[in-house]
Amino acid sequence: MLVLLAATTSCHKLESWSDSQHGNFEALWSIMDQHYCFFTEKGVDWDEIHSRYVAKVSDDMTDKELFYVCADMLNELRDGHTNLSSSFNVSYYRKWWSDYPENYNARLVEEHYLNFNYLSAGGMDYAILPQNVGYMRYSSFNSMVGESNLDQILLHLNVCDGLIIDVRDNGGGSMTNVETIVRRFITERTLAGYISHKTGPGHDDFSEPYAYYYDPAEAGRIMWGKPVVVLASRGTFSAANNFVSIMQYRPNTVIAGSTTGGGSGMPFNSELPNGWGIRFSACSVLDAKGNTTEQGIEPTPGCAVDLDPVQALDGHDTILDFAISYLTGTSFAYNRQ
Amino acid sequence: MKRTIIYIIVLIVAVLPAYPQEEAATLRPVTSAYTAEIGDARLANTYLTPLKYTGWSAAFNYERMQAMKFNPDKWVMRLAAGLTLDGTENPAKNADMWRLVGEFSWGMTHRWRIPCNITLAAGGSTGVDLGVLYNSRNGNNPVAVEAAWTVNLTGYAAWNTRIGRLPLTLRYQPTLPVAGVFFSPDYGELFYEISLGNRSGLVHCAWWGNYFRMENLVTADLHFGATCLRLGLRSNVLSTKVNNIVTRVVTTAAVIGISGEWMSLNPSRGIDSKARIISALY
Repeated sequence: MLVLLAATTSCHKLESWSDSQHGNFEALWSIMDQHYCFFTEKGVDWDEIHSRYVAKVSDDMTDKELFYVCADMLNELRDGHTNLSSSFNVSYYRKWWSDYPENYNARLVEEHYLNFNYLSAGGMDYAILPQNVGYMRYSSFNSMVGESNLDQILLHLNVCDGLIIDVRDNGGGSMTNVETIVRRFITERTLAGYISHKTGPGHDDFSEPYAYYYDPAEAGRIMWGKPVVVLASRGTFSAANNFVSIMQYRPNTVIAGSTTGGGSGMPFNSELPNGWGIRFSACSVLDAKGNTTEQGIEPTPGCAVDLDPVQALDGHDTILDFAISYLTGTSFAYNRQ
Repeated sequence: MKRTIIYIIVLIVAVLPAYPQEEAATLRPVTSAYTAEIGDARLANTYLTPLKYTGWSAAFNYERMQAMKFNPDKWVMRLAAGLTLDGTENPAKNADMWRLVGEFSWGMTHRWRIPCNITLAAGGSTGVDLGVLYNSRNGNNPVAVEAAWTVNLTGYAAWNTRIGRLPLTLRYQPTLPVAGVFFSPDYGELFYEISLGNRSGLVHCAWWGNYFRMENLVTADLHFGATCLRLGLRSNVLSTKVNNIVTRVVTTAAVIGISGEWMSLNPSRGIDSKARIISALY
């Protein structure tokens, strides 16, 4: 009797949706409603969006038609971390970078600054520029960078007066690589930022922001204590955005270029009854001052520079030139003949 | 004088308590069983996915029962250990979720032998479950941890009978946790955040409102001489809800294995011919 009572009262309810076009739409809307973390911050009325988009759904529409309705609904969130995946397409909100200048040209740097002659290790391309400035290009935080890699890179660049870390167009990747790199540039335990996760399905159900810290790399590792310029652009997103948010508070460091792309919500994955996958921002990461960086990080005052397309035709990356001038204390302005 | 001394000696001998005759030795063989299990699994974990996954379940289990030394007729101990692997797919069959769990429990039951070769037992046990669920399609939330320590109600009903001339022992053994502690992250908490040091709120008190689990085991031991063929059915139900995360695991598996009674013998001592053998189950 006791067991029966326990059994009948203790099976916990699981929400479910039918595998119909309406069912899949409602599943998507509900998953986002319960788990997405930026409704309030972005001023999104998710109930109003439901009213508008459910009217576009019918059970006899094709899968592709449903996909585009759902993708348009997700684009209302203006979030590059939110993607709907099907067997025929992945939705992607691109305006966070496509509405802005790219401000980066890899060929321009490799040809006119590196002369196609650079070293590569741990996902980093690096060289010593003629002005005795070190240049380190990290194109993706998905590339695992090892401690030995960083030892070799920083040892090689050790003779330089300053260091440029170029994370323009770096779309992000693993947060553990952020810590691995930052630890070479700090001399004591450093507040890196805060994480605030959802505690329930309500739009404002969040935990108290949890402070997380980075320690310097272990004794014996090659460290960098000289000035640093981090180059950033709208394409600097997600983990790269997080890297910039930490480095901006390092002494003797500036952020040059343009506002980063943001992407401070750590994504979760889920899925719909028809097998489509959904990725979305679920956990907000704040900078060391408790500020959100979802809308991007501004360059250091006085360091906002765009890539001049005219000068680029003549082999000049005006953002890189700015960084070199900053580190050498000399004018590196381009003089057009 | 001599007569007086004899009278005193006789009197002393008469009032001295008689030394008891030495009792027959009690032998408590261990009933051990090794079983393999195969069946189906239905998994759900809303930290990983809102959908119910279905598939197969396979397990290997070991069980050891022995009458207790302090009161072998009335008390039996049971130790159980097992490893379970579940492989499941989502309804669209384009994603899979795996579950690997190790379980260990130890308990004691009081038994009553009633007519018709039936034994009833009731008691308690304590156990630990430790495992993971892994969803292959997820990025930052691919894993859910299943970790619990519980105090359980358990018991069994056993019937020793025959099919023709073949001795047979049928048994039903349920196990029902009533309290304990278990692990769960917060609703949207990444393991990355836990790895950065945020360990608060991860351990929860278990009670039937947030943690319900029940195992039902039915076995038939067919006695072929000293060794038995064990056939059976095991079902497991786990349902938890904490931090708005719902987990549900339902497995049903056919059981096949061997069981038997074993004793440790010292060759130099042999077995007392008057020894009384007290079986744990048979």
